[in-house]
Amino acid sequence: MLHTAWIAILLLLAVRAGPEGPYQIILLPGPVAPAAHGEARLHFADSPFGIAVTADGRHRYDIRVTAADLPPVASLGAEYRAYVAWEVTPDLSRWHRLGVIGNGVSTVGTAEWNKFLLVITAEREREPATHVGPTVLHGTSPSGWLQTFLTHPLFRGISQ
Amino acid sequence: MKRCWPLLMVLVAAAPRLLGAQDTTDMAGMHMHDEGSMMPIPMPKGMVMLPGLVGLLPGVTPFLPGAGVDPASLPAAQPSRTVRLQDGDTLDLTAGLLTRTIRGHRFVMYGFNGQVPGPMIRVAQNATITVRFHNQIDLPSTVHWHGVRLDNRSDGVPGMTQVAVAPGGSFTYTVHFPDAGVYWYHPHVREDIEQALGLYGNMLVDAPEPGYYSPVNTEQALMLSDLMIHADTLIPFGKEAPDFALMGRVGNVPLVNGEPAYALNVRRGAVVRFYLTNVASSRTWNLSIPGVPMKVVASDVSRFEREERVASVVMAPAERYVVEAHFTKPGRYPLVNAVQAIDHYKGEFDPQVDTLGWITVSPAAATPDHGAAFARLRSNADVSTEMARFRAEFDRAPDKRLTLTVAVTGLPLTTVQFMSIDTAYFHPVEWVDGMPEMNWLSTARQVRWILRDDATGAENEAIDWTVKRGAMVKLRIYNDPKSFHPMQHPIHLHGQRMLVVARDGVRTTNLVWKDTVLIPVGATVDLLIDASNPGTWMLHCHIAEHLGSGMMAMMHVLP
Repeated sequence: MLHTAWIAILLLLAVRAGPEGPYQIILLPGPVAPAAHGEARLHFADSPFGIAVTADGRHRYDIRVTAADLPPVASLGAEYRAYVAWEVTPDLSRWHRLGVIGNGVSTVGTAEWNKFLLVITAEREREPATHVGPTVLHGTSPSGWLQTFLTHPLFRGISQ
Repeated sequence: MKRCWPLLMVLVAAAPRLLGAQDTTDMAGMHMHDEGSMMPIPMPKGMVMLPGLVGLLPGVTPFLPGAGVDPASLPAAQPSRTVRLQDGDTLDLTAGLLTRTIRGHRFVMYGFNGQVPGPMIRVAQNATITVRFHNQIDLPSTVHWHGVRLDNRSDGVPGMTQVAVAPGGSFTYTVHFPDAGVYWYHPHVREDIEQALGLYGNMLVDAPEPGYYSPVNTEQALMLSDLMIHADTLIPFGKEAPDFALMGRVGNVPLVNGEPAYALNVRRGAVVRFYLTNVASSRTWNLSIPGVPMKVVASDVSRFEREERVASVVMAPAERYVVEAHFTKPGRYPLVNAVQAIDHYKGEFDPQVDTLGWITVSPAAATPDHGAAFARLRSNADVSTEMARFRAEFDRAPDKRLTLTVAVTGLPLTTVQFMSIDTAYFHPVEWVDGMPEMNWLSTARQVRWILRDDATGAENEAIDWTVKRGAMVKLRIYNDPKSFHPMQHPIHLHGQRMLVVARDGVRTTNLVWKDTVLIPVGATVDLLIDASNPGTWMLHCHIAEHLGSGMMAMMHVLP
C-alpha cells in the first residue's frame, strides 16, 4: 500500500513537471517587456515521410509563435524596428535567425537542433545577421527538459 | 509546478530505500537468476544495468526455434529469388527451419522456401494468383499479404479470417493485386518471433503503363530488419507472450535482406531504383547514402502526387518507399542509418550511425544514361486526379477518433521508478532502445498497449466498427504523450488504403496512398480511409510486440 502511494505521488509530480507534450515551448518575458507572454508550437516540417528529420537524424520543426502583450517595438528604443525569433544553442554559442514575429500568431522558420532555446529579440532590422537588441521573450525546446541522471543516487549506487 | 523538479529528484532518490528496490512481490511471473551473472542482453556502450533489475529475467519461457533439431541437418538460407507469376498461376510457399550464419555464428531460424527474404513475387497489376502455404515450422502460422486489397478470406489473420495453420498443415490463399507498387508478406501469428527470424518476402506489382516509373539502370529490393544477438547467442523470445513489450525488440544487428553487410556494384552514372521495406519488429529507420542524391517516388499503395528530393528516408515498421538514387561519381558509398538516440543517463542526444552496406561505383559509364530522367521531378497527375473525389472530405469532422495509450501492471519496481522520473520529455520517435534491460523484462502479461475509441471508451478488440462499402471514413488518431510510456506507433489497416490528410492540423501537401502510418508521440493525425473492400479487417500497431500486447481493433466493411 505504501509502495503504491509513493509511486502514485512520484508519477503525479513527474508528469506535471514537464511541458505539455513534445511540441510546445512556453515563452517567458525578458526584463524589458515584463507583460509579454506567449508560446510556440513545433510542427514537423513538410516531408513526404510525415515526420521531417535531417540526414543525421535531427528532427526538423516549423515554428509557430503566438505572442501577446508585446509593446510597440519602438517603445524599447527608437532604433528598433522588429521582433525577431532565433533558434539558439543552449550554450548561447550559435544563433539561427528564424523570422519576424508580432503579437498574435507568426509562422517563422525551421528549427533543427536537438536542444535549443527560442529567443525573441528587438532588432534594428527585420533580417539582422546577428542579434544585438534586448530579449523580450525566451523559452526552451521540449527536448531541453531532458535531465541528466548521472548524479542520481539510483545510479551512483551502481558503482558502490 | 516545474520548480518541483529538485524535490522530485530527492523523493525519487529516497524511494528505492523506502520501497525496497528488490521487492518483486508485485511482479507478474518475473523470474530471477543468479546475482552477478552475465548481462544476458546486449547493452549500449557505456550503459549499465540498474541495481533493481540485476538478476531478473522476463516472466516467460525462453523460446528459440528448432528445439531438438540438429542444425547440421537443416539447409543454409539462400538469398531471395524472383518468381514471376502470371495471372492464374500457383505458387507453393513453405515456411521452414533453416540456418543462417551472421557475423560468423550459425543460428537456427525460419525462411520461406529456404530463402531469406522469401521469394520475391513479381506479378502484373490486376493479376490473381494462388498460393499454397505449407507450415513446416514449430509454431502455428499464417501468411498476411501486407497492403494488398485482396479478398478478405485470404488476409491471413488467425481468429478473424482463418484458423492458424498448425505445424505440418497447409492453407490456400487467393491473392489479387489491384494496385501497382511494392508489398510484402509475413505471418500474422507471433510476428515478434516468426517475422523477426526471417519469415518475410516482397511482392512487386508492375503497372501496365511502361512509364509508370522513370527509367533506371537497375532495381534493388531491400528488406530492412534487425536481430538481437549477444556474443554468439540469439536472445530468446517469450514462448507464452512477447517480451520487450514496452517498446518492441530493437535488435543490435541491423540487416539488409537478412545480411549484415549489403553490397551493390554499379557503374558511374547509374540510376538505381530501391524498393525499401521495413520488416523490423520495432525500429524506425533514417536511411541515406551520403554524397548521393535521392528522390522519393512512391510509398505503400501508390506513387506520390509529385516526386521529391530527399536527404534521407524515414521508414517505420511495415512501411515501404520507392526511392531512386543517382551515382554520378566512382567510389564507395555507404548505406547508413543515422539517428539521434537519447542517452537517458546523461540527458543528452547521442548521434548514432550504422553502416548497413556499401555501394561500389566503377569508373566505366552506365548505359543508357538516365541522368536526365533522374534530374526531372515528375508530377503524377493521374494520382492527383484519382484522389480528387476524396478532397471534399478532408476538412470535415472525424467519423472516428482513437487515442493511443498503454496500461502496465506488475513491472519491476525499478522500472516504475525510472519511468516516473524520466517523464519530462519523450522524443516523438524513439529511434533506438535506450533502456533495453527495462524493455526486455516487460512482457505482454504486464504491458497492455491500447487503442481507445474516444466515443465509446471501447478498447482494442472491443472496438468493432462497421462501415458501408464505398464510405470515406475520417479517422483521427491521437498518441497520448502523458501515458506511462509514450511511444510512436506505426498503425496499419488491412485490406484498405488511406490518405494522411493532416498532421496536427497541418494539411499534407503531397499525398500518397498508405496502409501504414507512423503516429509520433503527442501527434494527432487525420486519416481518410477509402473503405472499398468488404470484409472484416484488422487495424493495429505494427510494432510486433505492441500487437502481441493487444493493440488491435476491427473494422467491418459491409458489401
